[in-house]
Amino acid sequence: MKKALKIFRKEIKEIIKNRSIWLPILAVSFLFSIAFPAILTIAVEDIVKDPDTAGFIAKFFGASTNVYESMIQFMIKQFIIFLLLIPAMLPSLIAPASIVLEKESNTLEPLLATPIKTSELLLGKTLTSMVPSLVISTTNFILITIVVDVFAYIKIGITPLPTWEWVIAAFILSPVISFIITMISIIVSSKSTDIRSAQGIGAVIIFPIYAIIGFQIAGFFMLNIKYLLVGCLVLVAICPLLLKLAIKVFDRENILTKWKMK
Amino acid sequence: MIHVENLTKKFGNIIAVDNISFNVEESKIFGFLGPNGAGKTTTLRMLSTLIQPTNGHIVINGHDCKKDGEYIRSIIGLLTETPGMYEKISAYENLNYFSGFYGIDEQKRKVNIERFLKMFDLWDRKDSLVSTFSKGMKQKLALARALVHEPKILFLDEPTAALDPESAHMVRTFIESLKNERTTVFLCTHNLEEASNLSDIVCIIKSKIIKISTLDELQKNKKEKKIEIVFKENAQKYIDLLKTFKEIASLALKENKAVFTLEDPEILNPKIIKLLVDNGSEIVYFNEIKASLEEIYLDLIRE
Repeated sequence: MKKALKIFRKEIKEIIKNRSIWLPILAVSFLFSIAFPAILTIAVEDIVKDPDTAGFIAKFFGASTNVYESMIQFMIKQFIIFLLLIPAMLPSLIAPASIVLEKESNTLEPLLATPIKTSELLLGKTLTSMVPSLVISTTNFILITIVVDVFAYIKIGITPLPTWEWVIAAFILSPVISFIITMISIIVSSKSTDIRSAQGIGAVIIFPIYAIIGFQIAGFFMLNIKYLLVGCLVLVAICPLLLKLAIKVFDRENILTKWKMK
Repeated sequence: MIHVENLTKKFGNIIAVDNISFNVEESKIFGFLGPNGAGKTTTLRMLSTLIQPTNGHIVINGHDCKKDGEYIRSIIGLLTETPGMYEKISAYENLNYFSGFYGIDEQKRKVNIERFLKMFDLWDRKDSLVSTFSKGMKQKLALARALVHEPKILFLDEPTAALDPESAHMVRTFIESLKNERTTVFLCTHNLEEASNLSDIVCIIKSKIIKISTLDELQKNKKEKKIEIVFKENAQKYIDLLKTFKEIASLALKENKAVFTLEDPEILNPKIIKLLVDNGSEIVYFNEIKASLEEIYLDLIRE
């Protein structure tokens, strides 16, 4: 564990110095946890004046005595999915950089020649990928709660967050998604020859989340607690399989010999 | 210290290392030579437990490489052919990071880092980012990294590549001094002069082992010996006499020197000297020039 933490501490310092990783994430976080929720909550009365919007909301929430509350609930469901982009995006940026850059800069071989176990190295890389993701994602969920509750209370006297969906998304789905994307990124990076292809493949991995966002906005379905729990069960079931595969692929010989040295 | 038995490594259908066996004693410098693609780096990777052999055994300091990889990695230092450093952190931080994996006491680590940075004239740049270092400086830092935990065995792949003559000399002197510290050195190099000056044993490989011996033995066992005769006068006078010996090959004359090769000099040398003296020559020196490692190596590789 000590060696894994050593790797984690060193890499976190490097990530903090790397603006190309954290600036886009901060921008996305600001937009989806502060800016959009604030704007839409403040403008909720104007939004529901549109008859099409009101009809759309009624389709999912039924005829409601409080259409503003229904609209806010609808927005919250969208934002939860958007916020799940963070625990997906960040590992897909960090994990490939963490491994492929080691290969490209020829530091992987000397590192593997130390007494560190492959599992310790894998754990260190996983922590590097997951910890910032979870910190930022949890912060985002807290921020959105504050923003939405403050403005919703001012406008219509309600504090809609947190909800059970919020709790599942923040404390179960977020870490699970972060873990899955980290494992997939590690598996892909172990076989990749350059950082662009590793990160490119990582970007493709988070397509399912974009798809869910799209389907929800288009009104094909609405995330509720049932869907979230089923999603959690499926994803949690995948985790041990991915971990096993990552351990198998993240093997000294594999990553040294199946990649051509420059 | 290092015992290798029937070591083979295949990558698909390619046999990179073909059934090699050798021993390296403690405190010796073992020169490991071969052309490009001979299997040197693959052998080095197997010895440092980075990859597993297809067949065969490696025992290092009494420990099996397959079973005790972690222990072996704790007692070895590795300098790869293209050593990389973390460019976004300083020289000191690089050494501190890597040495932290060996379980060394923090105070001892600080002492070692300072020792090796000073030894390689990098102490003044200890807080500089490695990205600002020249190639030679990075090479020296990589060597410091391989040494900082005081390994019992040092695997060096082209340690003086990219170094200026002064630094290369310093590194070679240091490698030689490691014998006194009971460190065993496994040296892969294309620099045959370096291998010749440093190695106690030389092993020449081309997938299989071609030869493994001391330099003295290699020189003694070389069939063709190089003979030099220094005359008092111009050597051109005696060219016809020398040509009467069909066994003489590669005859070259320069001013008052004649150099040639021949097999069985013990039998022919007295006859050559007698013929020359009987014909009035005054011989100043009659030497056997020991074959250089380069000549021996090239002969063996071509065979």
